Amino acid sequence: MTGTGRFPHLFRPMRLGPITLANRIVFGAHPTGYAEDGLPTERHAAYYAARARGGAGLIIAEEQSVHPSDRPRERTIRGFDPAVVARHRKVTEAVHREGVPILAQINHNGGQSTSLYSRRPLWAPSPVADPAFREVPKALERQEISEIIDGYGLVAGHCVEGGFDGVELQCAHSSIVRAFLSPATNRRGDRYGGSPANRTRLLSEIISEVRRRIGPDLVLGVRLCCDELVDGGTTLEDAIAVARVLEASGKVDYVGASIGVSTAAPHLDGASMHIPPGYALFVANALRRAVDLPVIGAGRFKDPVQADRALADGHCDLVDVVRGQIADPDFAAKARAGAPEAVRVCLSCNQDCVGRVRANRRLGCVENPRVGREFLPALSSRRAGRDVLVAGAGPAGLQTALAAARAGHRVRVYEAERAAGGQVLLAASTPGRAEFGVLVRNQLTECRRLGVRVEYGRPVDAELVRREAPEVLVVATGARPRRPAWGRGRERVVDVRDVLSGRVRPSGSVLLVDEVGFHQATGTAELLADRGCVVEVVTSAMVVGQDLATTLDLENWCVRATAKGIGETCDHEVVRVGECARTGRLEVELAYLPTGETSGRTVDWVVCALPQAPLDGLYRALRRHPSVQTLRVGDCVAPRRVDMAVIEGERIGTSL
Amino acid sequence: MQLLSPLRLACGVTSPNRLVFGPHVTNLGHGRALSERHTAYYRRRACGGSGIIVTETASVHDSDWPYERAPLAARCAPGWAAIARACHDEGGLALAGLGHTGLQGTDAYGRTALWAPSDVADPLSREVPREMDTPEIAEIVAAFANAARLAVRSGMDGVEVDAGGRALIRQFLSAVTNLRADGYGGAQRTRFAREVLGAVRRAVGRGAVVGLRLCCDEPGTPGGITPETAPAIAAELAAAGAVDYVVVVRGSLRAPDVSRPDGHVPPGFNDAAARRVRAALPSSVAVCAQGSIVDPRHAEELLTEGPAALVEMTRAQIADARLGAKLAAGTPERVRPCVLCNQACQVRDPRNPPVSCIGDPYSGHESHPPVVPAPVDDPVEVLVIGAGPAGLETARNAAKAGHRVRVVEQRERTGGMLRVLAAGAGLGRLALLADWLTAECERLGVRIETGVRAGAADIDARLATGGVVVLCAGGRMGEPGYPIEEGAVVHDVAELLSLPEEELRRRLPAGPATVHDPFGGVSGVSVAETLAALGHEVTLVTPDHLVGARIATPDDRARALARLARARVGVVKRCAVRGAAEGVLRIEHVHTGETGEVKGGFVVECGFRLPDDGLWRGERLGMDRAGDVVAPRGVYEAILEGRRAAAGIEEMYR
Repeated sequence: MTGTGRFPHLFRPMRLGPITLANRIVFGAHPTGYAEDGLPTERHAAYYAARARGGAGLIIAEEQSVHPSDRPRERTIRGFDPAVVARHRKVTEAVHREGVPILAQINHNGGQSTSLYSRRPLWAPSPVADPAFREVPKALERQEISEIIDGYGLVAGHCVEGGFDGVELQCAHSSIVRAFLSPATNRRGDRYGGSPANRTRLLSEIISEVRRRIGPDLVLGVRLCCDELVDGGTTLEDAIAVARVLEASGKVDYVGASIGVSTAAPHLDGASMHIPPGYALFVANALRRAVDLPVIGAGRFKDPVQADRALADGHCDLVDVVRGQIADPDFAAKARAGAPEAVRVCLSCNQDCVGRVRANRRLGCVENPRVGREFLPALSSRRAGRDVLVAGAGPAGLQTALAAARAGHRVRVYEAERAAGGQVLLAASTPGRAEFGVLVRNQLTECRRLGVRVEYGRPVDAELVRREAPEVLVVATGARPRRPAWGRGRERVVDVRDVLSGRVRPSGSVLLVDEVGFHQATGTAELLADRGCVVEVVTSAMVVGQDLATTLDLENWCVRATAKGIGETCDHEVVRVGECARTGRLEVELAYLPTGETSGRTVDWVVCALPQAPLDGLYRALRRHPSVQTLRVGDCVAPRRVDMAVIEGERIGTSL
Repeated sequence: MQLLSPLRLACGVTSPNRLVFGPHVTNLGHGRALSERHTAYYRRRACGGSGIIVTETASVHDSDWPYERAPLAARCAPGWAAIARACHDEGGLALAGLGHTGLQGTDAYGRTALWAPSDVADPLSREVPREMDTPEIAEIVAAFANAARLAVRSGMDGVEVDAGGRALIRQFLSAVTNLRADGYGGAQRTRFAREVLGAVRRAVGRGAVVGLRLCCDEPGTPGGITPETAPAIAAELAAAGAVDYVVVVRGSLRAPDVSRPDGHVPPGFNDAAARRVRAALPSSVAVCAQGSIVDPRHAEELLTEGPAALVEMTRAQIADARLGAKLAAGTPERVRPCVLCNQACQVRDPRNPPVSCIGDPYSGHESHPPVVPAPVDDPVEVLVIGAGPAGLETARNAAKAGHRVRVVEQRERTGGMLRVLAAGAGLGRLALLADWLTAECERLGVRIETGVRAGAADIDARLATGGVVVLCAGGRMGEPGYPIEEGAVVHDVAELLSLPEEELRRRLPAGPATVHDPFGGVSGVSVAETLAALGHEVTLVTPDHLVGARIATPDDRARALARLARARVGVVKRCAVRGAAEGVLRIEHVHTGETGEVKGGFVVECGFRLPDDGLWRGERLGMDRAGDVVAPRGVYEAILEGRRAAAGIEEMYR
């Protein structure tokens, strides 16, 4: 069955104000970090064009600032700079060539920003500091409100000149318009504050100005925060009232329904795999029932089935699939072709999209090393048809294999274990993290399509290499746990991998030692707590799971840890572990790093998440092989995260 | 002054004086090249009397990309050439900082595995590097030599090789990070460094400067380099590279920035190590002292009585680019003090803030025209209301331009929030900036009236006669954002710290105290320490996952935590305050929503402030405002806006 048959709702064309969309799949606005000197780049153009080519119904280009008082990120696009127009044209032409419309999102972040780059006071309705940026903003004077409205008009004009099909106003998770709408941040006593009508005034004036500038033939959309989820903030009812005002204005073509304030609850803005898909659909549903304007629903849409369902159930008219199309630009095309199982499904791991962008880096994707590099010619192999043996079917090995196969080599992968995936499988076995395992499924799907042979239970050694005599051997044998010096000789001092692989099954009280700071310790802690263990996580860092913040997982870890009774102890290091002669239990001595004071714990097990050691024996044995070119990728080079395994695999696989 | 006397280095090159502007992260680069902003930044210091400028450390090899704007030697030739010309124009020397951060880098930019002597993970970033093999070691040695050659060919007077707190060379020298069993480990741990220095010397020839920035102490990592073991290393390496000078620094995996601590660490922490190193080196090798040296008297002492022939005063010259010139002019009192706050100059931060200074926001922005008023022919009568940093900076610049300035301040002392913060534990140095601003104003003829409350009538009077009013009235306590029941005692932190200590003791009931710090900077920690020192049992409540989340460097943050621990300050993390009642503060976990209570006789509220703008009349001719009265923020913003307000006086009448 074709996609249009299988996903009848997803591929039903629709009118969006003055334009027609081929389908309901939107690639919504999101920061990419691809701008240079405040202007869009060819990186943007190729990035959007790839999603247009891949079948998206509508592209919304990333936020542009409407005024110099607003530069929340180093790479914020200066929409008010006339120099953007020429760059816009490159972007819009690239997307239009694929026959897909593209809108521009424009915004002023108000107090949800920093003066670091602008060196000016932040502007906001009232001097209420943002919870994340923590900078008290300047309350706007009447004249400055006019400046902002003029800025929206000016920037809308630039977008028209730049060839966009319309404009979206981001009045949602991070916006001065949201701040005006919300009683939590708008304490004004003038005609822009107080009553709902007054708080909506800025939005109405901006809409009038923008519509005046873009005329009747372009789209004007408004993305609304439908529930701020903060004390005294905008509620769903308030948002519905605003949507009715928008509808009554006759100037707006659609509304986008989002939830939360990105600087108060960032984990609701880019929800990770721990938050159920479709978590924000209830607000879209409520808006759709209240107004006749088309509604875009957002919130972790990752596969066509689920997206079609949301439409079928009447929650929304369009679905915003951002990370899904970052991971696979051909998301829509594959669905349309009736092959949704071929989609490289997003993991919602947030590591290289949300995580990198929040750290002022360029957007990437752990699964798709081409993200942000679409403007570069795909690397082509100098010598196709080489005979390649990959040792190890973890993420690095599989990526090497599929990249090499794509480049025209003959590739086989030998895996010592009974299944592919390496440590990804273990990571995916902790509570709430099953979606991480989709990475392996995606890689295997691609390997199968490309004719890569994967064999299990086949460890590779020098003898096998001699026998099979491949032209190229790529060693992707991964890493092994490092045993801490203080745990030597203690059977119940084990590694998280021992627990996750089922080699040991701790019970009773467990002390988890977190020296990695990502999901290893916290995930294992949850697993053991779920099994009834009494768990405490100890770390030398100032925060348990310090890097969970980068993927927006820290807040929810706190919530789950509390619910599961998991203890957290920071700034402590293990000094030694002894064994009680009588009970056989482990006696752990901890040192409090700030003062050196020691304390003790008596537990049944100690489980460690420590930096690992590379398993590079095969590589070292064969790297100077006279006839077999021997290379290595991933953790056997240096144990790192999965993004580096995939990047290296891609790099090596394409450059053989 | 010895500081201002020339020094002939062993290679034959003579530095015009002993004042060094050391290598540091600036984020002024364009991509990985040195930029015009760099040139302007260094030129201003050379012009201001710096004898030796060492440029931002450039990675010698593309396996090293530790922060986005980290210079890469291969791309630095044009920048080095421009900087060398600029420094030479001003009579100073220019040296190229060269380095490789090894395992203390990041794979976030280069997207390849980090290179290191051994696969020891960085305990802060947790990244695991890969062990370099012998050809790679040779490659890096060659890269150092190539970079040095390129620098000298570009016109630099020499190089400074980094073996400090974030350096691959140190990682080879230290038993903590070098676990190798081959000819570069064990007893041969200095070999890599020797090879690098030897190759660098050969590359630049005998007549160029080769400096060595050497870690002489690795705090927090037992088994590492110590002040006892460092002198022998220094001697060995100095010989290997015919090194002209050795900068004695410290730093380790756990505390990489410990050589640039904030003001809580008294200056002079490297002096003893420098003395030991001096004793081990031949007299031809100069020792350069480093480590929070911001007071010219300290510098002079190190030169005349101590071990040093050179003194690195980096932050002091970020704060006052004309440090050397002012000393040469015999006006040391005019040097704008570095208060060791680390607020604007510590910029190793992925957001890439440009280096700057709270006292001189023009620092790091030298490629733009300065925001200072041009001298005027027809001076205006200027009334500045408020003598905090914004008011004083407005007055100082307006008076410099020739205006007649009067400052009225309702408190008895000038300095505003600078004085308030300085009253807290460990932040006393901030008062130096208040003193300096006041003294400069007085020198320039500004009339300062303290204990005088300005009113609307004063503004009317000034405006009526064609004068200018700049409102710098600062901020006031904000709404706490939680209900305060009868019997609860909630103090404004600013009000409390404004009191003399005796008054403070009288005002605060004995017993437990709670500090609510929703900001997470240095001030909340300082207030908690202050109260603990007064004998209170203190609990600090923060919404964050950790204490002092906004403190500039991990080193400074770790020390803040240690001070709180020693003072027995209890910390309640991840909690917001939901109400204050008698003897109790009601809190709520910001993520789980769990509620609880903290017992305490009184609460000190360190929350966000509101502008004290009762006298503001909206935008109008003749009136402007600056600093916290616009929106309560920090000293940096206050000073910056003070300058802009002063520059705007002329514009108002143009």
